[in-house]
Amino acid sequence: MEIRFTLNGKPTAVDVPPDITLLRLLRDYLDMTGTKCGCEIGECGACSVILDGEVVNSCLVLAPQVEGRRVVTIEGIRGPDGGPNDLQEAFIEAGAIQCGFCTPGMVVAATVLLRKHGYPTREQIIEGISGNLCRCTGYQQIVEAIQMTVLRRGGLPEKEEHA
Amino acid sequence: MSIKHFDYVRASSCAEAVALLSDPTHISRPLAGGTDLMVLRHKGEVQWDRLVDISQVPEMRTIVQQGEAIVVGAAVTHAEIVEHPLIQRYLPLLADACHSIGSPQIRNRGTIGGNVANAAACADTLPALVCLDAVARIVTKDGEMAVPVKDVVVGPNRTSLPAASVIRDFVIPIPPAQARMAFFKIGRRQVQSISRLSLACLGWLDADGRVAEVRIVPGACTPQTQRFDQAEAVMLGQVPTEELVRKAGQAGAVQMIAITGRRWSTPYKELALPALIERALRKVFGLPEVR
Repeated sequence: MEIRFTLNGKPTAVDVPPDITLLRLLRDYLDMTGTKCGCEIGECGACSVILDGEVVNSCLVLAPQVEGRRVVTIEGIRGPDGGPNDLQEAFIEAGAIQCGFCTPGMVVAATVLLRKHGYPTREQIIEGISGNLCRCTGYQQIVEAIQMTVLRRGGLPEKEEHA
Repeated sequence: MSIKHFDYVRASSCAEAVALLSDPTHISRPLAGGTDLMVLRHKGEVQWDRLVDISQVPEMRTIVQQGEAIVVGAAVTHAEIVEHPLIQRYLPLLADACHSIGSPQIRNRGTIGGNVANAAACADTLPALVCLDAVARIVTKDGEMAVPVKDVVVGPNRTSLPAASVIRDFVIPIPPAQARMAFFKIGRRQVQSISRLSLACLGWLDADGRVAEVRIVPGACTPQTQRFDQAEAVMLGQVPTEELVRKAGQAGAVQMIAITGRRWSTPYKELALPALIERALRKVFGLPEVR
């Protein structure tokens, strides 16, 4: 069946079987492999994308469910010059990437978190990425990268915020 | 039997959904957030040849106040419930239960109707809905019916929902202003965890400081989610004290074992349930917390 939706700001139409997931649509039919295929049962968050402004596991969305809706993938998250944006630069700087498999999902989840909370607290950051598993970093550097972005976007360090 | 491929159709109203689900030429299942069905699909346990998508049916997508009740559409997501001002103001117990579910990703997809209809033993909205006396309004091909949530789920993954029906919404009476409520959950980790045990509790005191109403509903505990009336009876009409909440906790454990018998999880739950009951009663009736 043909599915029409907005993908990373562009109107998109793709002909796929009705019983595949959004994850498979992206990777196998549109060759957009930035969205990673991890557990495929909604546990790991590697396949996270933004559906109408909310972070979701693309492995749990049936492809036809995105008909008429807006999807943003990691390919749609970048700086004005097309390179990494400040959040992605912070991930590199903080050493928040080892094997890199969880990174697209982490950046997607963090992008929604930063949009929703503006200047999230450490607690909100930890909750915001709680649906994304990382088996390398122990999360510390990932939380630091997001905190770094908060600071650079004009947020205050948490202690001063509460003073 | 597992079916290899299946079709998809999107319903635009409850009536259309019921008509599609009743179509004898298909084995249809309703699809909402997909957080359970897509897992079955991945495991190769496809028992349908068509999914009827009810996740965008307008009348199932709203949270509104109707007189003395809040009406929550069955296709409202857990995240939407957590963030909704009416829920935060009148039904914080339900917000807490929904917040305890899964991860942000799961809460953005999973729906309250799906949580009830899937009827997992560990469904986190069940104890909250039963505690709040919620009534499910169900659309069938013969018309509409209203069934208390406690009677919708009759056992693990078993419901009394008629074939080819959908839950349209839940009518949840607003508790009196003096009511206090609590939801606690024990899982293996804080997020993305299946409930080992949970507890929804609600109550209020009369003018003399005695317990006028108390509802104690454990989750992931008994086959059918229910009020633990023996624990409630300990509290009712009494002035809440440390000794009383301890007795209520013990009565809860006795009632649990009377219902389930001694199971593999009993040695754990007979200690954990009284602790949860005590903690919830302390919060609801304003006794100091004990750690």
